[in-house]
Amino acid sequence: MQPFGCILALVDMKRDVFQAIADPTRRAIIALIAVQAMTPNALAQHFDSTRQAVSKHLRILTECEIVTQEQKGREIYYRLEIDKMKEIDEWLEQYRKIWESRFEQLGEVLEVMKNDQRTKKKK
Amino acid sequence: MKPAEVSTPSDREVLVKRSFDAPVDLVWQAYTDPALMRRWLTAMPGWSMPVCEMTTDVGGKYRWRWRNDENDQEFGFTGEMLEVALHSKIVHTQIFDPGNLGGSMGGEPSIITVTFNETDGITAVATSIKFASQADRDAAISTGMTDGMEMSYKQLDEVLAG
Repeated sequence: MQPFGCILALVDMKRDVFQAIADPTRRAIIALIAVQAMTPNALAQHFDSTRQAVSKHLRILTECEIVTQEQKGREIYYRLEIDKMKEIDEWLEQYRKIWESRFEQLGEVLEVMKNDQRTKKKK
Repeated sequence: MKPAEVSTPSDREVLVKRSFDAPVDLVWQAYTDPALMRRWLTAMPGWSMPVCEMTTDVGGKYRWRWRNDENDQEFGFTGEMLEVALHSKIVHTQIFDPGNLGGSMGGEPSIITVTFNETDGITAVATSIKFASQADRDAAISTGMTDGMEMSYKQLDEVLAG
């Protein structure tokens, strides 16, 4: 059930960012370059996929502004945009809070139901 | 109980997990009995839930509608029950009903799957929201950014703070 889609809808979010982090390979790339900026070749060594596939993921991450490119000599390094990642965290956190406030209410309803059941059993 | 966990298992899916200190038959009741549903689905200040039609019949339709009693605005959700396994699983479609609030959440219904699992009196509830397409998910997320949306960020903050 998603009764509060309406509130969820209020949460501003760069929509592509969501897509960017949904893919497991892209999440792995994010984890790797979070430690240090890396070239596509260096990154590709960590995956079974081809260098082309890794480049495609990097392009998506770049379009979503999660990573930025930096030219060093003949190599291009990709680095993580920490602020962007924070934005994603914040969005998920807001979404989580909306659900949590619903669930806290549900928890209270369940407590009342449990008490009612106990009272009935006693009678 | 630990607070809700939210994850994004695929690019058109959101998964929300939460456990409750109650046996599954009570949690099930709270999710399916309109009188009980109203008690936890109307937490927004100033909003009531005048329509809460629910069914656990496969193929049956449900209809939920919220109303802001101050400015007469309404919105809701409707859908059809696709799968119902007592005390275990509910799968239903969900379409945003803009009421007079406006906005759209995409044309195709999303699929909501709620599973219930009880262990030693604790019931784990997992809710998966699967949008028909990425475009629909984006529409759902960007709805409300439109001018017609009366509910402001301030109200959202209050909801979040409360």
